[in-house]
Amino acid sequence: MIKIPTRVLLVDDEVDFVEMLSLRLNEVGERVTPAYSGRECLEILGQKSIDVVILDIRMPGMDGIETLREIKKRFPLVEVMMLTGHGTTETAVEGMKLGAFDYLMKPADFDELRLKLENARKRKDEQEERIRKAEARLLLRKSGDI
Amino acid sequence: MSDKKDDIKLLLVDDESDFRQALIRRFGRRGLNPEQAGNGPECLAVLAARPVDVVVMDVKMPGMTGIEVLARIKEKYPCTEVILLTGHASTQDGVDGIKSGAFDYLTKPIEFEHLLSKIGQAYEKILREAEKLKEAEFRAKVEQQMAAAERLASLGTLAVGIAHEINNPLAIIRESAGWLTLLLKRKELSDFPGRKDFELALEKIEKGVDRAKRITHQLLGFVRKQGSAFTQVNLPELADETIELVRKEALDKGIAVELKVEDPVAGIWSDPYQLRQVLLNLLTNAVHATAKGGSITVMLRPLKEGVQLTVRDTGTGIPRENLGHIFDPFFSTKNPGEGTGLGLFVTRGILGRLGGHIEVESSLGQGATFRVWLPQRHEPGIDSVQDDYANILKQIKGEQLP
Repeated sequence: MIKIPTRVLLVDDEVDFVEMLSLRLNEVGERVTPAYSGRECLEILGQKSIDVVILDIRMPGMDGIETLREIKKRFPLVEVMMLTGHGTTETAVEGMKLGAFDYLMKPADFDELRLKLENARKRKDEQEERIRKAEARLLLRKSGDI
Repeated sequence: MSDKKDDIKLLLVDDESDFRQALIRRFGRRGLNPEQAGNGPECLAVLAARPVDVVVMDVKMPGMTGIEVLARIKEKYPCTEVILLTGHASTQDGVDGIKSGAFDYLTKPIEFEHLLSKIGQAYEKILREAEKLKEAEFRAKVEQQMAAAERLASLGTLAVGIAHEINNPLAIIRESAGWLTLLLKRKELSDFPGRKDFELALEKIEKGVDRAKRITHQLLGFVRKQGSAFTQVNLPELADETIELVRKEALDKGIAVELKVEDPVAGIWSDPYQLRQVLLNLLTNAVHATAKGGSITVMLRPLKEGVQLTVRDTGTGIPRENLGHIFDPFFSTKNPGEGTGLGLFVTRGILGRLGGHIEVESSLGQGATFRVWLPQRHEPGIDSVQDDYANILKQIKGEQLP
């Protein structure tokens, strides 16, 4: 089976971390865009198609939760995976209540990360599929009226 | 020692028997019953058998003089006060005596009332000194406990801060090692001569990161704030589920795990996830400490206002010198890499938050028994790290938790 790359936006102020995880995810066939702040993340989402955002909770300036709210407001179909470097599972759970797909604790297990990425992508695909079908039905009904 | 003057223990030392008997009769009329001795060595022998509060002693005695005896008394019984009796013409003896530690001296012929009041004063001094000593001991003990609590609290704060900060670089190390591992799998590197060595080293890095991660996550688990996870908990069910988690490991080692529930164990209002963590920590320790053929028993017993949970194993037991440390952070007797030394520390922290407490009973070779008390219902207070440390502080001070 040919792997369809998940378009990942990796957001963390830890430059080295972003760099290494990007290399690794790209190597296994994903397509990663790096971002180093919440603001940059939102900018990129405005320009590029992204499936899943991997979002660090603790960042200077706009933090993960704030960024998440903004993502869900402006790009509701994009799935978000929270990444917590400081054990605040509560914040991650709060994030999930705000619409994040799941969370991972740093340092995250790579296989677990990939699995969750896959699932997040699947959820987005299914949602988009449903939207397409609904649109098709809408179109059909409209044309049926004629 | 009593503070009633009638109970003053007195010893009268004089080589003149008549003088002694006369004085003792007069003491007797005042309700005092002094011991007596005719010379220095006899006096020391009496003291050795039963120390007294006040010694009234003649300075001029054949053999050992009063001053010599005084020095011996002060050396061996610093709390005993000595009143010297000197001859009329030898006040110098009295002065020397005071310099050597006598309470005071009286010149013969003595006035009995005067002697009595001196004895009274000497006794008051003894009481004052004893009080001061007790106070100093108490202060030293409290200060020591405070220092230990503060050390633990600041150690905890520091450790958590470090754990926070270390997770990020750990993630970088893990990703870098993971990246290299992936690179080595590339086709063009399949003939790379040092590949095996690289893979070995990378595996070691992964393992090291795992180990460090366990530590940081457990530390953070210790201060993890509590959400509204409180709910009705069915303890027998929770115990059963948790036992299942370690059952396989126990079976592999040939250890039987048994759950005994004394009916009726009512549901308690608590946090099931944290309780599971507590039980899991205790069970894992028990499995690690128990050898093939041993057994682990989990017991649940209803109490008036809660439940007692007991985990007993037939393992190696805990040596006495370790019993006081097993709840300290980073205290571990397992091999490096196997234990983080945080399990019981975290367990106690969690129980403090749940309004319970834990005790251990063990001796070497006799297995160990951990008893956990859980309240029927606990309303969590303000969740904060400070709360945990306050609890630890209380535990150190030996207070019972609410």
